[in-house]
Amino acid sequence: MSDPGTIGAALAAQGISRRSLLKYTAYLASVLALPPMASRAMAEALANTKRQSVIWLSFQECTGCTESLTRSFSPTLEDMIFNLISLDYHETLMAASGDAAEAAMQAAREANKGKFVLVVDGSVSTGANGIYSTNHGKTNLETLKEVAADAAAVLSVGTCAAFGGIPYAKPNPTGAVPVSEIVTDKPVVNIPGCPPIPEAIAATVAYFVTFGKLPELDHLHRPKSFFGDTIHDRCYRRPFYDKGQFAKSFDDEGARAGWCLYELGCKGPVTYNACATTKWNGGVSFPIQSGHGCLGCSEPGFWDRGSFYKPLSAAVMGNRTLIGGAALAGVAAGAASVALARKRRQAALAEQAAAQKKAQEKTE
Amino acid sequence: MTAESPRTGLADSLLRQIAEALATLHAKGTRDAIDLRSLPLTAADRAELEEALGRGEVSARLEIAGQSELWETAYAGVWWLRHMGVGDQVAAESIEITPLPDLLASHPDDIGLAAARLTAELQDKAEEARHV
Ligand code: SF4
Repeated sequence: MSDPGTIGAALAAQGISRRSLLKYTAYLASVLALPPMASRAMAEALANTKRQSVIWLSFQECTGCTESLTRSFSPTLEDMIFNLISLDYHETLMAASGDAAEAAMQAAREANKGKFVLVVDGSVSTGANGIYSTNHGKTNLETLKEVAADAAAVLSVGTCAAFGGIPYAKPNPTGAVPVSEIVTDKPVVNIPGCPPIPEAIAATVAYFVTFGKLPELDHLHRPKSFFGDTIHDRCYRRPFYDKGQFAKSFDDEGARAGWCLYELGCKGPVTYNACATTKWNGGVSFPIQSGHGCLGCSEPGFWDRGSFYKPLSAAVMGNRTLIGGAALAGVAAGAASVALARKRRQAALAEQAAAQKKAQEKTE
Repeated sequence: MTAESPRTGLADSLLRQIAEALATLHAKGTRDAIDLRSLPLTAADRAELEEALGRGEVSARLEIAGQSELWETAYAGVWWLRHMGVGDQVAAESIEITPLPDLLASHPDDIGLAAARLTAELQDKAEEARHV
């Protein structure tokens, strides 16, 4: 029998059978791209683990990230994440407010010092010492530094927390920066997206609870299992791209036949995310399936990349072309141009960040 | 029309993989599983695989954290597991090559709790009878 205080005991107290846990870990193994046979061991490990304390801080954000996580969770399989965690502080979701809410956070911080997971949505204002965004008499900047010091790991949820997002877009009046620019001495996981895929948030937390460590991350600190491929790599319209069949307008014959949306501005080839496989609203659809190109919302600097409706070969970042014109010529560009695009994108981003920093320094 | 409908031939490859895993289960008792959700199966591929494997003697419906349907295919030891998520969409789907999927067996912890519950209920009943 599971020890008191463990997830197994909590489930038993609610009359939830261990089958539910096994079903959930089968689902987790699938979304995390773990071997399907791992689910049994995961269920056993989870049953004997304590619920993970989570503190959630919201900074310069629109609450879309919280909506993403909570909206998807009707009382079904995906709901199980809330049995694995103890959400000890979340301004939008908690009943307490004001001093009582802050006291709850202090209590959770002290009780789980060095062990809790800190989730942040929203970018951090640094302009004028962070005064543009405050809560309970403190700037977000101060709160983040203080709370992160006691956390085991930090999850930057959404493009704003991960890469600065929309507040970071030019001219960035609040001096917004990503969480990783402030928290430099703790592991920071980025789960970008505007909003991020709820399964990516839940599965990353669940992975941490199950294995006591973070999942494998890429060079931008994103979990590889969700951000290892581009949208384009897994897009069901890819055969049309490969054949050079492109819709030229949103209602032409090509669009109606489901052809590739590259020429209508799709950023799928340079966007790393799992929308094409995990999809949205419980797997109903994703933008490209609904007829609109990918906006690239989970990539750094997406808002300043030029028009959403210009093909990548025409969309510019700085003055650099993102990708060659191969697709426009109807040739399968394939992995080589994607790799090239990635290199160019990184160079362009570095350039953009440097320019933005300079501009900021000037205004301050 | 979308590009999701064509047959890609993936069902054939999966059938060969399942045949191999089933032979291994028979020879060595090693269980295996294939996660269907992570494969780029089109609707036509999925239908083709389901039809090729057919349905066997056992099927079960589970009402735990959403619905699940499990069935033994026409090939003993090859089980199809389908878990529904939000909005009755398939959240996870796999094929298990095993004598019995873990999900069907009762967990020892649940058995322990059930035994305690049943004993307590019988004691309550006996107690009530004594007071009547
Ligand atoms: S360009 Fe966009 S629509 Fe076309 S195949 Fe790639 S991801 Fe899909």
